[in-house]
Amino acid sequence: MRITLDPRTKLFMVLIVSMVVLMPATTPLLWGIRICMTMIPILLLLSEKRYASAIRFLIFYGVALILTFFFLSKESQGILSAILIGYCGIVVQFMPGIITAWYCVRTTKIGEFMSAMQKMHIPDGIAISLAVVMRFFPTIKEEYGSIRDAMKMRGIMFGGGNALRMVEFRMIPLLFSCVNIGDELSAAAITRGLGGKVRRTSVVELKLHAQDVILMMLFTAALLVFVFFKYFR
Amino acid sequence: MNEYSAVNEIKEQTDGSETMEKSRPVIEIRNVSFRYKGSSEGLLSDVSLSFQEGETVLLCGASGCGKTTILRLINGLIPHYYSGEMTGDVIVDGRNIRETELHDLAGTVGTVFQNPRSQFFSVDTDGEIVFGPENIGLSPKEILRRKDLVVSEMRIGTLLDRSLFELSGGEKQKIACASVSALLPKIILLDEPSSNLDWNAISDLRESIRRWKEQGKTILISEHRLWYVKDLIDRVLYLSDGDVKQEWNGEAFRNLSEEKVAELKLRPITLEEKYIRAFTDEKGAITASKKSEARNCRFDTDKAENGPSGKKVILSEFCFSYDRKRSGGHLRKCLKNGTIGECDGLQLCIPNLVLPEGKVIGVIGRNGTGKSTFLRCVCGLEKRCPGVITVDGKAYKGKERLKLTYMVMQDVNHQLFTDSVKAEVLLSMEKEDEKRCDEILSNLGLLPYKDKHPMALSGGQKQRVAIASAIAAGAKILLFDEPTSGLDYAHMKQVGQMLQNLARTGSTVLVSTHDPELLALCCDEVIHIESGRVL
Repeated sequence: MRITLDPRTKLFMVLIVSMVVLMPATTPLLWGIRICMTMIPILLLLSEKRYASAIRFLIFYGVALILTFFFLSKESQGILSAILIGYCGIVVQFMPGIITAWYCVRTTKIGEFMSAMQKMHIPDGIAISLAVVMRFFPTIKEEYGSIRDAMKMRGIMFGGGNALRMVEFRMIPLLFSCVNIGDELSAAAITRGLGGKVRRTSVVELKLHAQDVILMMLFTAALLVFVFFKYFR
Repeated sequence: MNEYSAVNEIKEQTDGSETMEKSRPVIEIRNVSFRYKGSSEGLLSDVSLSFQEGETVLLCGASGCGKTTILRLINGLIPHYYSGEMTGDVIVDGRNIRETELHDLAGTVGTVFQNPRSQFFSVDTDGEIVFGPENIGLSPKEILRRKDLVVSEMRIGTLLDRSLFELSGGEKQKIACASVSALLPKIILLDEPSSNLDWNAISDLRESIRRWKEQGKTILISEHRLWYVKDLIDRVLYLSDGDVKQEWNGEAFRNLSEEKVAELKLRPITLEEKYIRAFTDEKGAITASKKSEARNCRFDTDKAENGPSGKKVILSEFCFSYDRKRSGGHLRKCLKNGTIGECDGLQLCIPNLVLPEGKVIGVIGRNGTGKSTFLRCVCGLEKRCPGVITVDGKAYKGKERLKLTYMVMQDVNHQLFTDSVKAEVLLSMEKEDEKRCDEILSNLGLLPYKDKHPMALSGGQKQRVAIASAIAAGAKILLFDEPTSGLDYAHMKQVGQMLQNLARTGSTVLVSTHDPELLALCCDEVIHIESGRVL
């Protein structure tokens, strides 16, 4: 079953999850809320048939959770567990935000996004910049893939053992091609009337449905409960 | 029509009888000189032109002659987006470009650009078609009406509701045409629109242009490939050194002799079609011999072993599927039986292919038919492909293929990593050897640029830097993915020459290409790939 949400709901979810992510969970109840909030975007990804990414996120998050709860404790010693604690800590802490944002970016069309921005009376300048950022994710992925291929052929995947060069070899061609594409992209967009004084219209008609209202209420409630039990009890 | 006289004087062949009814021109360029900031290329000196409503005009000439600059003057990107020194005036549909905001021109002038990859604002096809009309603030009802109109006109219903990143180059260019159409502009500019397209996609493009012409739009095409537009054009302008040097009407242009065309350093006007017929219908005399040679070089190891001439490169078991699950079982079955029937569902299935060593071998086939997959597998980028390359009796498989081969990508910018040409070559060597580096560079004519930044070089020079690093790494098989897309005739000839030189020094060169001229120019053999199979 496919559940489609309004872009505004998605943005609201990102906002709430980001807020919760910044407050460390300390009690089992708080942990529970956090985990539930993470599962919702994963389920939504599944409903959009994005199985691969949903399962990858689930495993990634799940493993980090299990490690934190059952194998690592304050008494863990040694370099390996130090690295693991740091790693799992970051994953467990920030993964919910990343998953929600991923869901939001991957399932929202640019047209829908622009329309949502307009309904929320966000200035066109900001809306267009954000839309371009969304448009650029797949481009960067494509370009990065080609650069990795080129590096493989040259046998310099590991920069000759030099970590700095490893980054340099990836970033320099990537920056060059992104700048070029960005330049051509904006030229093409301007010739089609982007940035005019006329108020932009949108063919996408957005309406909040039952699922949007339910999710927004659910997430608001979760945030309130989280804050209440963390700071006022 | 005073500003026209300057051009008339240098006109060579115009019979005048066919010139259009002299109504008010829809585009007028009056004594325009232009120079890009900090660049000597693409400058214009005192150009005056005018275009009548409903005319279809071709702009041709070598790279950097100012074709693109003229289009940019008309769509307003000059002076509003690309800055430089400009004098003179450009009047489009009664408006002076200098005083018109770019976005106000959107409903009047539409532009289809060269690179389908970078002219999209949206991620999905529907969003892209309605993007323009949304920008100029039409009502949603009107936008949807136009979208339906364009979609049914161009028959692109099957492309709707798809991600633009999944489409082939030809399909992307169709969407680009559709999204320009949806704005219903009077004037349409096309800037080398066929550069990245195969022959089928080009005939679709020609259809789009024909439709626009029927609708009475004014069309300007800047193009190197002349054969597909030759029947559509009313007038041809030949540019050189920033000025219009010659002008023909359509009829005179179609009748130009081959020598004359070659003298002007243009790509042949008719030659390509001969080739296309040869490759699509298996007719045509010119390529018949090549085709039979190509037929000889597949599936027959015995003959190769007994063959009297030269060494061979043997490719075996090159089977591959992008679908992970499928590739496992199917691959094994396919390899065991070696029959093509078992290979359904594989994107690539070439059980055995024998190629001559030290030759230039052309790889042809439609867009998205497995040419790129084939090249990627040969050079070992697809790890799951079990293919083995045998050279001089030594078998290379898995990662060893990466060392044996090198692919020069279509976008060569992706494979230049360092800050100087010299460093780029040295990086590829296991042991840094400056003497050998100099030798390689001088062979490719790159020695003067030794200390330059690779990104500061021209496209052709970058390509040669990539080749230099491949040679330095000791690659014996060089693969080229569309090395001549978007090149003018002179540069294409250079590439052809270079490929032959590489083959002469012992490298085996595989070139995937849509350019029949390149095949004619330098390929010793041709492999035709269709749905991942060698025909």
